[in-house]
Amino acid sequence: MSKRSGAALAIPAWAWLLIFFVAPVAMVIWFSFGYKPGIFGTHANDVLSFDRYAEAMSPTFFATFQNTLWVGIAGTLLCLVVGLPVAYWMAVKASPARRGLLVALVMVPFWTNFLVRTIGWQVILAPEGWLSTTLQQVGLIGGPLDILYTRGAVLLGVVYNYLPLMILPLFVAFDRVGPPLREASKDLGAGKWTTFFRVTLPLARPGVVAGVLLVFIPLMGDYITATVLGGAKGNMVGQLVASQFQTAQNWALGSAMAVLLIIVIMLTVAVGALVVWLVTLPFRSRNRLVIGDAANAAPARPVTTAIAAIRSRPAPADEEVSA
Amino acid sequence: MTVQQSQPQQQAPAPEQSKGPGTTPAAVRQHRRRRPWSDIVLNVWGVAVFAFLFAPIVVIILSSFNVGRLLVSWQAFGFDSFLAIASKPAIRDAVWISVQTGFIAAIVATLLGTLAGIAMARHPGKWVWWFLGLLLLVSVTPEIVDAVALLPWMVFLGQDLGLAIFNDGIVRLVVGHSLFSVAVVSYLVRARLVGQDAQLEEASADLYAKPFNTFRRVTLPLAMPAVLAGFLLSFTLSLDNTVIAAFVQVSGTTPWPVYVLSALRSGLRPEIAAVSTIMLVLTLIALGLVAYVLRRAGDSAADIARTMSGG
Repeated sequence: MSKRSGAALAIPAWAWLLIFFVAPVAMVIWFSFGYKPGIFGTHANDVLSFDRYAEAMSPTFFATFQNTLWVGIAGTLLCLVVGLPVAYWMAVKASPARRGLLVALVMVPFWTNFLVRTIGWQVILAPEGWLSTTLQQVGLIGGPLDILYTRGAVLLGVVYNYLPLMILPLFVAFDRVGPPLREASKDLGAGKWTTFFRVTLPLARPGVVAGVLLVFIPLMGDYITATVLGGAKGNMVGQLVASQFQTAQNWALGSAMAVLLIIVIMLTVAVGALVVWLVTLPFRSRNRLVIGDAANAAPARPVTTAIAAIRSRPAPADEEVSA
Repeated sequence: MTVQQSQPQQQAPAPEQSKGPGTTPAAVRQHRRRRPWSDIVLNVWGVAVFAFLFAPIVVIILSSFNVGRLLVSWQAFGFDSFLAIASKPAIRDAVWISVQTGFIAAIVATLLGTLAGIAMARHPGKWVWWFLGLLLLVSVTPEIVDAVALLPWMVFLGQDLGLAIFNDGIVRLVVGHSLFSVAVVSYLVRARLVGQDAQLEEASADLYAKPFNTFRRVTLPLAMPAVLAGFLLSFTLSLDNTVIAAFVQVSGTTPWPVYVLSALRSGLRPEIAAVSTIMLVLTLIALGLVAYVLRRAGDSAADIARTMSGG
């Protein structure tokens, strides 16, 4: 097969994604500059303006954007804090024979219907549910459990729903670091914590980045969790966009909100990356290993070389972020 | 990860077994004698998080044996909800629509994704980066954006352009569900083939096999584990899809998750838990098959984890 005819194999996928992904999204961006004509129309584009964006940023909707960002950031950080030790435990402490089983167990909730899992939490948290009655009998709480339909319930729901997406890439990253480097670090006199923070964690950084992105991006657009567990108090932008399209029939405003959502996500990721880069700057410069004469050794970057040799296969960042 | 089985192991296998080939027995012994508190904390934390992950699933499975009228309030144990499914055509139809859609969407996604993955792995060039960029964009776009974009687009194609096929409920669902799956299958197939040399294909060509025969008899079998895994993942993803389905669906072809979503407002009945339990069992069987296929193809637990999380 010649080179050109071979690349043609991708044409069906190109066409499919251009027609059913790029074109529709472009259309939404186009709609966002229009307006809603009268009660029965959904959109019109004869006059173009940024008015819908101004409307979407008005105080009524701005609070929802704020709330979404809060849930998004808090949820992602909680997922990281909860998931990181679990992933480390699975990859380093659990016996290799049991590792496959543990991975499979993390995947079961991941592949159970999202909506059904969330409904499971609704049943657990219900004021008349088991948890509530048990807690009351034990005497931990005075009245019925009052967490359903609050922002706390939404936060619990999103941490639950996206936790597997954090654990799996972290597990892969910790697994890839492998025991030899940890052993070497210990042999060179480093303690447990030093080894973890100066060897294992820096090497697992691609997994952390992938996990954070895999959790944060879909979480920001999530509206199922908020609908099931949040009621009126747990408003998310996703619900707002959905209601503009389904109930209010204002496609122009809904489109502007959708575009704003994407912009907010990208901005937050960019700002977050910058903050992390700045915060870890002193640690990274301290971590650079120089052997012998600094002037000679610097270009060789022994640590990097060692890492490159130990990693069995290269992992392009784009593959990590795919789900 | 290689663990030397020949290593002397007097003690019972403990978590520290993962030390690997670099560990001397003495070091292992010394390690086992004192179990640091941090390991105990990690174990407890791990088990607690797993319990957290399974709590709502267990609750749903238990609730499916509830005889009461509502899902939330437990009355008595019984199989009524499973029997009730049979007498409710709306539930049956919704599940059937979901299964049909999942099947067709998986075929479409596997076909497009496999071809694209093979093209990326075997005929690289500048275009691959553009294509990977597009796939990345597809996979990081929040579902709700896809959903609100597809709704007007389907109306535009079906009514303004007069392409009647896009007014069909199943077609709309298949299109919506296949987008993300195309990206997943492309990643999987590419990753599989990039990891293997093209020598077999070259040999086949040297032995005068026609390009099509090389493709069918050499390239495709090489990619097969990824193709199968991609197919089953696409099917599961489609079964699970709620957001896009809620927007593009046409009345009359309501898939199962959208039926559940609308039932949220009218009160959840135990039948919903019963169907969920059945579908959970089916999903587990499908996933078990994926893991089995990948394991037979020689993947480690970490490889399977990477595959399952979508690349």
